[in-house]
Amino acid sequence: MFGRIFVYKLKEITRNRYNVGWNFIFPIVLATVFYLGFGNLIKDDPDNFSTIEAGYVNTVGDASPFEAVLTELSEGTNDQMAVLSIHRYNSKDEAIKAMNSGDISGIYLESEDGIETFVSKNGITATTLNQIVREYKNKKAIIETVAVEHPENLPTTISMVMDNISTVERYDFGTNTSPYIQYFFALIAMSSLFSSWISTDILEGICANMTEQGKRFECSPTNKLMAISAGILAALVLQSVTNAIVVIYVQEILKINFGAPLWNVLLLTTLGSALGVSAGVLIGSFIKNSHLLVVVPLCFTMTCSFCSGLMWHQVRQVIENNCPLLNRINPASLLVDSLFTLSTYGRTETYYRDVAIMCSMIVISLLVSAFLLRRRKYVSL
Amino acid sequence: MSQSIVKIDNLVKRYGDNVAVDHFSLNIEEGEILGLLGPNGSGKTTTINCLLSLLSFDKGEIEIFGQEMSPVAYNIKSQIGVVMQNVAVINTLNVYENVDFFCGLYIKDKALRKQYVEEALDFTGLMEYKKYKPKNLSGGLLRRLNIACGIAHKPKLIIFDEPTVAVDPQSRNAILEGIKKMNKQGATIIYTSHYMEEVEALCSRVIIMDHGKNVANGTSAELKSTLINRESIRIGLPNKSPEILNGLKEINHVYKIKEDGDDVIIKCDGGEHNLVHVLSYLTDNNIPFGHVTTELPTLNDVFLEITGKELRD
Repeated sequence: MFGRIFVYKLKEITRNRYNVGWNFIFPIVLATVFYLGFGNLIKDDPDNFSTIEAGYVNTVGDASPFEAVLTELSEGTNDQMAVLSIHRYNSKDEAIKAMNSGDISGIYLESEDGIETFVSKNGITATTLNQIVREYKNKKAIIETVAVEHPENLPTTISMVMDNISTVERYDFGTNTSPYIQYFFALIAMSSLFSSWISTDILEGICANMTEQGKRFECSPTNKLMAISAGILAALVLQSVTNAIVVIYVQEILKINFGAPLWNVLLLTTLGSALGVSAGVLIGSFIKNSHLLVVVPLCFTMTCSFCSGLMWHQVRQVIENNCPLLNRINPASLLVDSLFTLSTYGRTETYYRDVAIMCSMIVISLLVSAFLLRRRKYVSL
Repeated sequence: MSQSIVKIDNLVKRYGDNVAVDHFSLNIEEGEILGLLGPNGSGKTTTINCLLSLLSFDKGEIEIFGQEMSPVAYNIKSQIGVVMQNVAVINTLNVYENVDFFCGLYIKDKALRKQYVEEALDFTGLMEYKKYKPKNLSGGLLRRLNIACGIAHKPKLIIFDEPTVAVDPQSRNAILEGIKKMNKQGATIIYTSHYMEEVEALCSRVIIMDHGKNVANGTSAELKSTLINRESIRIGLPNKSPEILNGLKEINHVYKIKEDGDDVIIKCDGGEHNLVHVLSYLTDNNIPFGHVTTELPTLNDVFLEITGKELRD
């Protein structure tokens, strides 16, 4: 019975042209519009993380430990690109000439005065080059201090320091840090929340107080919660597939790199779909008026999407600065934040926090809905 | 002895201060076609919703197939078919899929379901439209689809809630013939309608509801026998002198003479050959007359006499 209802509900919602229009065609069209608007800004964004072409000038002459660190950072591994590509120059002027001509993005100048960093412009490249020097200096200071004060611990200290040679290596960085990518994430969040319409549709077709089909359904010897579960699963499958198509369209056709493994992005968009579907079920279990069942999910989706940065990508940051709780309870913001974090910084604590909150929201929504629907043994016609 | 299929005892349903169903009782025997009549707001649909456990009620008991009805009485629900007043189909599924989907809520066996669905499509004459989407069907075909969805699983009790509203005469006849056929095949039927002639032609027993109460219960003939007027004879009579009218009034069973333009209407309270007696009087006395028609009382007359003639909301 579950399987039959699932199959028929899947047929029902995939043939509904409003669902197809809003949940599939609209996101594709909007993604294309975004691409035409600022796709090049993302592709050409100087902040896009890639191996940094850096110059190195050593006026001291001796073999330098810093040069050894740079050499190590120039060597990529199987699963990770090299952080730096080092070009050695004999003089600062020669290196600056190369930087001005665009061959390199920055210069390390090691002299008697220490290590200096020159960059052509600010951005993640400059930050990374400076961070490498900062970390090197910190760790050098640690080793020197230990060598003087606790020489017996020196081998262990060196080993620990070398294990974490740099922040850049230690974190599993994403590879797209453009702020404009957030528009695409907000678009996926909006598309996910549109699935709340599908779930309210499903409930309408099953609950007698909403439609005549629902009345027919409730006259049948079918367990309502089982039928609703089958419908929810159908909505989730449809929305997940739709989101996956949108993601693949953006990444493969529009060539906008999400900066994270595709499977991980798809996992998050599936979670987003579940979030939208469960939000719809919750709305449907509270509201009985069929007009409100259209208006409320629409307002909910658009408000959440706006607050997640669909129209202006800074809005999420403004909310974070003034009322961070809103970002923690807005499902669209959570999805955008998790995708952005994954894309920019990798799977950090923030990413796991967002995922945990989303999972909790899904579970709570479904439990509350089940409670409300189960309690409604008779309907109010 | 016939088995009781539906038993409603002392049902009361209130909406705040408004009593929608007021101590309503009903007993339906196996094989009956029961007509449930009543003006708008008389409580028919509320009673049916209570019967189907879609609505809770304040007082009373409802038993179907000898068991107490409840929202989770799936064994009872599996033997009931409902044809809603409004078309209750899924617009994105085609005719076959709609019938298959709703039949599948009752019948799990795939082969049996296929057979039932095809029989329902044959029965309602929808086989040639099985690939059509509901939006491409005419009003009559849509009503037939609505019926097919409600009866495909071959229920023992079928509830028709005004199934012929906005249906053309051909489709209406087909629907009524279909209902008779289902009844002959063993289904017990509850039929609500505003069309008295349908109820009269179809139902073995009629209950008239008003203000939530059961105000009349019996066969069509039994209900009509409660009326004073049993026959109305209309005659075109150019000469309406008091002598002639008094002479007509003295005929056995004539209780009232009413002038209506060029005609007179002669009302009789019984008797079997009233028209013969009236015509004999006119010819015996060489009184010229024109057209002659006679009308027996209808269920509509019973309905109007019991529920009143004022307009309802």
